[in-house]
Amino acid sequence: MTFFAKFCIPFIIGAAILFIVIACKYISWLKNLPRQDLKLIAVNIFSFKSIKAVWEVICESLLHRRIFRVNRMLGYMHMSLAFGWFLLIAVGWIETVAYLGFKWVPLQGHVFFKYFAVLNSINEHKPLFDFVMDLLLLFVLSGVGLAWFKRVRSRALGMKRTTKHVAFDRMALSALWFIFPLRLLAESCTAAIYGGGSFLTGGIGILLSKTMSTYTLEMIYEPLWWLYSIALGTFFVAMPFSRYMHIFTEIPLIFLRNYRLRPEAKEKSYDNFEVEACSRCGICIDPCQLQSQLGINEVQSVYFLRDRRYNMLQQKIANNCLMCGRCEQICPVGINLNTLRLNSRTSMRNIPNEGRYNYLRGVDRSTGSGKVGYFAGCMTLLTPNTLSAMQKIFSTAREDVWWADKDGGVCCGRPLKLSGESDSAQKMIDYNTELFRKHNISTLVTSCPICLKVFREEYRLEGIEVLHHSEYILRLMKNGKLKVKYTVGSTYTYHDPCELGRGCGIYDEPRAVIEAVGELLEPKHNRKDAFCCGSSVANTAINDSQQLTIATKVAEELDQTGAAKIVTSCPLCKKAIKRGAKTQVVDLSEIIAENIK
Amino acid sequence: MVNFGFSINIPRAIDLDRNNLRKSNEIIGEMPELQACIGCGSCTASCTAGNLTEFNFRKVHTLVRRGEYQGAYEEMNKCMLCGKCRLVCPRGINTRGIVMLIKRKLGDF
Repeated sequence: MTFFAKFCIPFIIGAAILFIVIACKYISWLKNLPRQDLKLIAVNIFSFKSIKAVWEVICESLLHRRIFRVNRMLGYMHMSLAFGWFLLIAVGWIETVAYLGFKWVPLQGHVFFKYFAVLNSINEHKPLFDFVMDLLLLFVLSGVGLAWFKRVRSRALGMKRTTKHVAFDRMALSALWFIFPLRLLAESCTAAIYGGGSFLTGGIGILLSKTMSTYTLEMIYEPLWWLYSIALGTFFVAMPFSRYMHIFTEIPLIFLRNYRLRPEAKEKSYDNFEVEACSRCGICIDPCQLQSQLGINEVQSVYFLRDRRYNMLQQKIANNCLMCGRCEQICPVGINLNTLRLNSRTSMRNIPNEGRYNYLRGVDRSTGSGKVGYFAGCMTLLTPNTLSAMQKIFSTAREDVWWADKDGGVCCGRPLKLSGESDSAQKMIDYNTELFRKHNISTLVTSCPICLKVFREEYRLEGIEVLHHSEYILRLMKNGKLKVKYTVGSTYTYHDPCELGRGCGIYDEPRAVIEAVGELLEPKHNRKDAFCCGSSVANTAINDSQQLTIATKVAEELDQTGAAKIVTSCPLCKKAIKRGAKTQVVDLSEIIAENIK
Repeated sequence: MVNFGFSINIPRAIDLDRNNLRKSNEIIGEMPELQACIGCGSCTASCTAGNLTEFNFRKVHTLVRRGEYQGAYEEMNKCMLCGKCRLVCPRGINTRGIVMLIKRKLGDF
């Protein structure tokens, strides 16, 4: 039996290039992993985590469950292409086994089986396989049809905006779009001349044999198989250099993620897996407020990852991001978008400077001697109402407090980290940690979610409990140390700060505190889906009027709830929303201080 | 001399014709909003770093704009980028962006 024809050459070359490039990439990435990452792989590879990863690969890489959660049609489109193609390959493999028994058949023998079956004069037909293969082809073609439709009307698939692609992506995309229609034509033509095929290829085959002469059919028979092979070859060559690299890269990524590998403050080899697992689906574009509220394009995560992957990342792109995390929580591949952007900024801007911040040495302006430390944070010092409310709460609850920075303190280090100067930020982290240790506190309360996030993630504060003031107030109320009165008819709405909500996962505590004093009316976008106030310290690129535009849009939605007061629990959000709101904006601590019994 | 507890700057003249304004023009070209500064000093008054050490954002950026770059990068490195100055600026200037821009233009990245 022969399993070679000249038209297979483009396919074979394409497949070989694909295999070699992908192997080179994975080997070099894995080889360059830091030692502790390799250790994690070694420890976890023969554990239950691997089985969990296999299941996740089926759910995500084949079925695309997370995209179904965004939009069903979009999910179906991705699933039909991925799962459908996978089944075509798998069932095609079984089909050759059914016809030829267990014997070695080269790759092209499986892929172009319909052609070789005729060539090797296998005359029997297995209608069941014909039917299943036709059904699967129709399944994939429906996905291709949806993809074409999405180009014209993306809104029908739940996307307001889609990604603008680079030339290589367009080439791969075009090849992908042609693969399955060409396969349909080639197989139908084969059925028209030699019979076989089921409802789809067989049906079109009958149609072709009725409308065209046998001579014409035989003339187009070989060229159609050529075109199908060229489309496959082109796609395979383009694949490792285009967005379609995600097809394979998502699989090792899922395994590595299950082995607890994560991107870190500095770039490392693991990041390659995350960066190239991005499919540029563009789901991150719509939630981005820079896009929807300011009309800024080309800075969203999809473009950031693309630029980083092709080594053409510019500071103005990397810096123009609120780091609100709205894209990260919707990303169907689960890429750590904020961490990657941060370590890109670090690579671009971090200059270790030993002498920097030497002036911090010996500075200590703290007062008090309590076991509970209160770190107001720079922004809280600019919202004195919050500070005095906290003072009132502490004195009512008879808590002995150590005031870390009431008379001027050192920044927590997060703003500097967010702008990419992580080595310098470490000096502030070290300074503050030493200060907390020196005063022997057991609890650290802060009113600023920006500080909270860095305290919890970067500081080594073993033995010191770090609380946001919302958690702390709730605890005081539960312990009976703080009693508040509930006013019937008083209404509040709550704005989730990014760093507190998506950043630290604190959604319920502030709500419980508000509900103790009045009725809570939720805005349309809340919790994980909450908007950013626009004044995020992570963005140094947008100007004042752009910040105001975002704040106004966010405040509008909060105003619409009809609540008497807008409550938030971040001093920065408070200041930002205040500029755009018609309703009074207060901090969580203020409404508690007002309603103390 | 009797120490009265305060000091004044040594009188000196800045000769704009002699200073090389190339970097200054680049900075203003990239962030023209800096020219909206009225020199009120709110940034300096609220500054976290300025509260702990001698650091005066208004002074540094004003000197840089006039082509006096000597020591400006080192001074800017005292900034903690906490962003209070941006919130208090009555002209809405993106002060954090300015700090980063001046450091980029005068420093080595």
